[in-house]
Amino acid sequence: MIPNNFEYIRANSVQEALQLLSQKGDGARLLAGGHSLIPAMKLRLNAPETVIDISGIQDLASIHRDGGRLHIGALVTHRTVETSDEVKSSCPVLSEAAALIGDPLVRNRGTIGGSLAHCDPAADYPALTLCLDAEIEATGPSGSRTIAADDFFVGMFETALQPGEMITRVTFPVLTRGTGAAYEKFSHPASRFAVVGVAAMVTLDGSGNCSSVRVAITGAGPSVFRATKVEQALTGKAPDEQAISDATQDVADPADLMSDISASAEYRAHLCSVLSRRALQRAVQAARG
Amino acid sequence: MAGWKSLKDMTVLSKPLPRLDGPDKVAGQAKYTHDMHPKGLLYAGLLVSPHPAARVVKIDASKVRRLPGVKAVLTDVHPTGTVRYAGEEIAAVAATSPEVLEDALELFEVEYETLPFVADIDSAMQENAPRVFANRPNIRDPRVRGEGDVDAGFARADAVVEGEYRTQVQTHSTLETHGSMVYWEGDELVIYDSTQAVHGVREGVAKFLDMPVNKVRVVCKHMGAGFGSKLQPGRYTAIAARLAKETGAPVKLMLTRKQDFLGGGNRPNSISHVKLAATKDGKLTAFYAKTYGTAGIGTNAGIRLPFIYTIPNWKHEHYDVFTNAGPARAFRAPGCPQASFVMEQLMDELAEKLNMDPLEFRLKNDSNATRQKEWRLGAKKFGWQRRHKKPGADTGRYKRGMGLAASIWWPGGRGTKATMTIYPDGTLDVKCGTQDIGTGTRTYMAMVAAEELDIPMKRIRPMLGDSNFPKSGASGGSTTTPSVGPAIKNTSERAKTKLMDLAAQFLGVPATDLAWDSGTVYMKTNPVKKLTWDELCQLLGTETLEVHGQWVEGLSSRGVAGCQFAEVTVDTWTGQIQVNKIVAVADCGLILNRLTTESQVNGAILQGISYALLEERHMDPETGTMVNANYGDYKILGAKETPAIEVIFYDEPERGVIGIGEPPTIPTNAAIANAVYNATGVRMYELPMTPDRVLTALEAHQFAGKED
Ligand SMILES: Cc1cc2nc3c(=O)[nH]c(=O)nc-3n(C[C@H](O)[C@H](O)[C@H](O)COP(=O)(O)OP(=O)(O)OC[C@H]3O[C@@H](n4cnc5c(N)ncnc54)[C@H](O)[C@@H]3O)c2cc1C
Repeated sequence: MIPNNFEYIRANSVQEALQLLSQKGDGARLLAGGHSLIPAMKLRLNAPETVIDISGIQDLASIHRDGGRLHIGALVTHRTVETSDEVKSSCPVLSEAAALIGDPLVRNRGTIGGSLAHCDPAADYPALTLCLDAEIEATGPSGSRTIAADDFFVGMFETALQPGEMITRVTFPVLTRGTGAAYEKFSHPASRFAVVGVAAMVTLDGSGNCSSVRVAITGAGPSVFRATKVEQALTGKAPDEQAISDATQDVADPADLMSDISASAEYRAHLCSVLSRRALQRAVQAARG
Repeated sequence: MAGWKSLKDMTVLSKPLPRLDGPDKVAGQAKYTHDMHPKGLLYAGLLVSPHPAARVVKIDASKVRRLPGVKAVLTDVHPTGTVRYAGEEIAAVAATSPEVLEDALELFEVEYETLPFVADIDSAMQENAPRVFANRPNIRDPRVRGEGDVDAGFARADAVVEGEYRTQVQTHSTLETHGSMVYWEGDELVIYDSTQAVHGVREGVAKFLDMPVNKVRVVCKHMGAGFGSKLQPGRYTAIAARLAKETGAPVKLMLTRKQDFLGGGNRPNSISHVKLAATKDGKLTAFYAKTYGTAGIGTNAGIRLPFIYTIPNWKHEHYDVFTNAGPARAFRAPGCPQASFVMEQLMDELAEKLNMDPLEFRLKNDSNATRQKEWRLGAKKFGWQRRHKKPGADTGRYKRGMGLAASIWWPGGRGTKATMTIYPDGTLDVKCGTQDIGTGTRTYMAMVAAEELDIPMKRIRPMLGDSNFPKSGASGGSTTTPSVGPAIKNTSERAKTKLMDLAAQFLGVPATDLAWDSGTVYMKTNPVKKLTWDELCQLLGTETLEVHGQWVEGLSSRGVAGCQFAEVTVDTWTGQIQVNKIVAVADCGLILNRLTTESQVNGAILQGISYALLEERHMDPETGTMVNANYGDYKILGAKETPAIEVIFYDEPERGVIGIGEPPTIPTNAAIANAVYNATGVRMYELPMTPDRVLTALEAHQFAGKED
């Protein structure tokens, strides 16, 4: 439970962090909240030669709204997302989800950028990011680029980030009347990570039918994924209880899901259905205002 | 010797007093073995086998020895060189810091010849399975017990139920792992140990090291839980002693959490094929059980069937099964939680078949007079009459249910010695070589002396956890309180007699003319002639008064009953069980401290819920090691899962002192399982009752997913 020896450097700006990253190369790791990196280092599963502490970069720790977009800096903690008035009014589902992450210690230290970069198959933010069609801003030596959530999550602990790049912010849509979102999570009893977590976003048209539906599932498979069958089944339909119930009968095939000591693939598939149904019902309610 | 005062005359005993060491524990001042950091301390650790079965071919420690900060290395710590479970100690190092220690442990180069293994009971029982011990089959010869004529008993029954029940392996999960801090003073060895038996460890380690017992001293002032896993001396202590000898420095060797999970003890699992029968008027006639359990490479995986009920004809065949896993150890009421899971569910099944209320059915078959009263008392407090008559009666997603189950325990007190030292200033020490494993021993030692001598608690210094103190047994089997309580009382009485003699001398009257009241000695015929406690003690001048006493017959007894009632809510969408409330009725004769006794019952229930719903050791069939050997994967109950608990004491002070640590953990799992059945109409045949198991069972009964 003690990491290997490593060099520790504090970066005071994005520029400095990027410089250090390129200078130190493969053996370097960014340290944000440390709630994924440090446990892995303590188990000696991860042994970086250099740890670049970015947690003091103030520029990356703010939240602001810009018209229809909500920008959350990479270093904003789960606790801040949970309690921020701006988040609560612009995109309440994010606060709701952040409140379900781990325990208070984890929420006080862990950051949204760290969570997305780490890309744990049981983490919560990936589902929210994918469901809400968010954009991830990656900054590298040659500047910043925007990655759509649909392109960001590549696999287990694998993202579209390139070596030398870091996440600087995440941009979510501001949810307006007619659009609603909800997150439903079944937590692991010990770690509180998602055994399965389902995020749903629904937009209703003038006649109350679904003009757009997005459902993203974490915890169930090797990486977060969209439940496209459910989305298609509901798009263009009136989302009454029956329609939602019908659309969520077979959300996921157990053959595609993970099986481990906390849940079998069959049980995860069942949770995908149950949680999708609940998330969609609540998202519709929210959309109706 | 006099008996205990009557409850109404007691001013200290049987009151709810906070434990004396509570403030120190809360403030982090209480020093556990883990907290010991003497100057010059070396940190020692074990290299353990990653393989469940292997022969150690070669251990190359040259790189370890070359690492700066490494002070001593042992490569001969395994007694045979043949490993039978992942987690057995292979080598040991002492280093100047925990950091160096962890680096050092990575530098060992061990060559193993791996052998075939059996990771769990099912594979161990297969024909042609690899053997755990080459010269012995994995399934041991049965132990068969019983009475009456089982066939005849079944033949005359009107209703029979049968089934297969399974319980899991649960690890002790003591928050303080096993370990010792040791140092040498010349040829004398001092051991700070996290232990349930300071005297037992002293004797055991002396034997390991071939030393005279009187040159070994074992100390344990505060203890971070044992639950039965710390009753024996550990090999790690002897290893630490060797490292300390070699380096001339104090050495601390605590098992890592993972090592503790792998080798620190566990409760065996059980597989029970059972059959129970009764006549239509509700009298049990016969019981048959064939059971299997694994204690890993150890034995004693028995299950205490037929549990508490009176059955004229019964037979129980039990088979221990060897597996390549860490040995089981005594765990809070060994063999009993398993038995309640099986028997109390069978009782409910049979009651239903006979169209009888489960409580009524139990009253007909429970011959324990105390429990007869407790069943009724508990049912009334709990509101048993609110229970759904028809299982699964609630409509909708959430279903509520109620269940009950019984408890039992046997042992009482045994030989324990104590010493009291009274000082001229009126203070006194009470010394006993027992240990406070978190149960409140220290506190009631002072309470007993305060009650007997009628002096304030704060004048008394209770001293324990040191093998230099008079001998007491291991804290196991719920024997500590019925052993230590009477010993302190006996010592206090003797002190009183000695002080009265002193007073008689001083007053120039025969001691028989004197009486003792409220800490004062006075002349029966002339009560104004008296000596207060302070005056009495001043008579000692510059001397102290040393008094020895011991456990005596008549102040303690054996055997407790008890029962519990559970109310649960089952989420039929997810299979999650929430325990809403547990009502426990508990008896333990004369209760010495109502507050710490209630804590024991609370703690036992929490561990029982944890066993029922959460805890399970998972062995990887591929690697033969435990996959959830950490608290991120192995969940033990926390505040979130804790229900409302109501403890009702059934006082029987006339029986003297009896222990209570173990029995209240026995019925909890079964009361919950019966409540789950009452809620859903679905019976759970396997522990723990995890959401996916519950949901699978619900689906089989086509309850799942209905949102009516
Ligand atoms: C007990 C426990 C329970 C938890 N429960 C949950 C849970 O329920 N749900 C959940 O979602 N998570 C959970 N977590 C994980 C937690 O949310 C982590 O905080 C999060 O996954 C990582 O964020 P961090 O800021 O701590 O990142 P760090 O641990 O500092 O870093 C993680 C990884 O991301 C990299 N990184 C960090 N910041 C950036 C950046 N800006 N750009 C590029 N790379 C970066 C690091 O180099 C490292 O590889 C839990 C963690 C613990 C310890």
